[in-house]
Amino acid sequence: MAEEKTTKPAAEEEQENALVEQAKISQWLIKNGFAHELVEIDDTGVEVLQVDRQFLLPFSTALYAYGFNYLQCQGAFDLGPGKDLVSFYHLIKAKDDVYQPQEVRIKVHVPRDDATIPSVYWIWKAADWQERESYDMYGIVYEGHPNLKRILMPEDWVGWPLRKDYISPDFFELQEAY
Amino acid sequence: MVMSRKAPTSANDLINPVGRPTVTQDLSENVILTSVDDLYNWAKLSSLWPMLYGTACCFIEFAALIGSRFDFDRYGLVPRSSPRQSDLLITAGTVTMKMAPALVRLYEQMPEPRYVIAMGACTITGGMFSVDSPSAVRGVDKLIPVDVYLPGCPPRPEAIVDAVIKLRKKVSNEALMERGNLIQTNRFHTISHEMKAVEPILDGRYLSTGTRIAPPKQIAEAIGMPVPPALQAEQAQKAVVKAKGKA
Repeated sequence: MAEEKTTKPAAEEEQENALVEQAKISQWLIKNGFAHELVEIDDTGVEVLQVDRQFLLPFSTALYAYGFNYLQCQGAFDLGPGKDLVSFYHLIKAKDDVYQPQEVRIKVHVPRDDATIPSVYWIWKAADWQERESYDMYGIVYEGHPNLKRILMPEDWVGWPLRKDYISPDFFELQEAY
Repeated sequence: MVMSRKAPTSANDLINPVGRPTVTQDLSENVILTSVDDLYNWAKLSSLWPMLYGTACCFIEFAALIGSRFDFDRYGLVPRSSPRQSDLLITAGTVTMKMAPALVRLYEQMPEPRYVIAMGACTITGGMFSVDSPSAVRGVDKLIPVDVYLPGCPPRPEAIVDAVIKLRKKVSNEALMERGNLIQTNRFHTISHEMKAVEPILDGRYLSTGTRIAPPKQIAEAIGMPVPPALQAEQAQKAVVKAKGKA
């Protein structure tokens, strides 16, 4: 038992080291002084990097300079009632005749009572409507977004419908049919 | 003894007249006896013009019905793109609370007599959105009166034909005298919305707003360096490569 306990962390550490060695983009970022946390390399081999929101913009600019010129998907999710909201960015390198472009995913955690993140609209224009949708559904305010308004819900809707602690209003139209 | 020839012929005439009397046949071929109700209903049910209305996958099936394979023109259904010209509203697809005012307005713009077929599970009870959706209306009968409920997710075109036939039966049973009795009862909103009304946010000048020209100062500082559009960056790179190749 005791032996197992001592050997296990070592094995985990080895695994982590292997993970870090595999993560080429993460290594390049660390070499250039962009602090972040390597969350995982997912089953399709995409590096998932977590970064603080105050460093998101320089971090994103660095990735843009590294060649990630295309924001393929931006979205958000809620970790649970009382927990953080997460805004994620999936980037790829779009070029001519590329068969499998390099990909990377960034995640930014924000507390739900102070959900503000700088907008990446000025780096990738594709973030325009996607950030509006994340704002509409989760109430994450993207600072510096040119037109941050609700995109799906009615403009006078109150509340953020996809947050886990959201309670649907008891409107007549939404009451169960019988 | 001279036999009279006339007498038997006239008798034959009486027994076997050359033709049948034609008075009643002419009448039945040229005069229709019916009630105003039946005539009016026949005219209505033979030209139910549906409105081209579709908000989700149900309309795919409805569109199939318009085509030659299922051919709903044979029922006198001619799709109209204007509510002013249509008698039938087939609510094909989920109705959300954002769509609800538009749907009610479309229904109100249709001239009387007008009919509604609630097509698909979404428009009957909310369907698969009835459990936890924050926006799907739980059945269009909360908004407008429904004549025929057509279940399915989505219903096949044959099922729509069946619903149209059922509606035709309903129309053929109506009477002018009872027109006033068909007004809906018990339609009321139980809870007021209490949302703060805001100005419409879509003003048609989305891309030309001033905020799109340059990033705010703080953002520009945080980005650190100017970000050229991707195409320009690519061209610049190619130019550099070319220059190197020449050198």
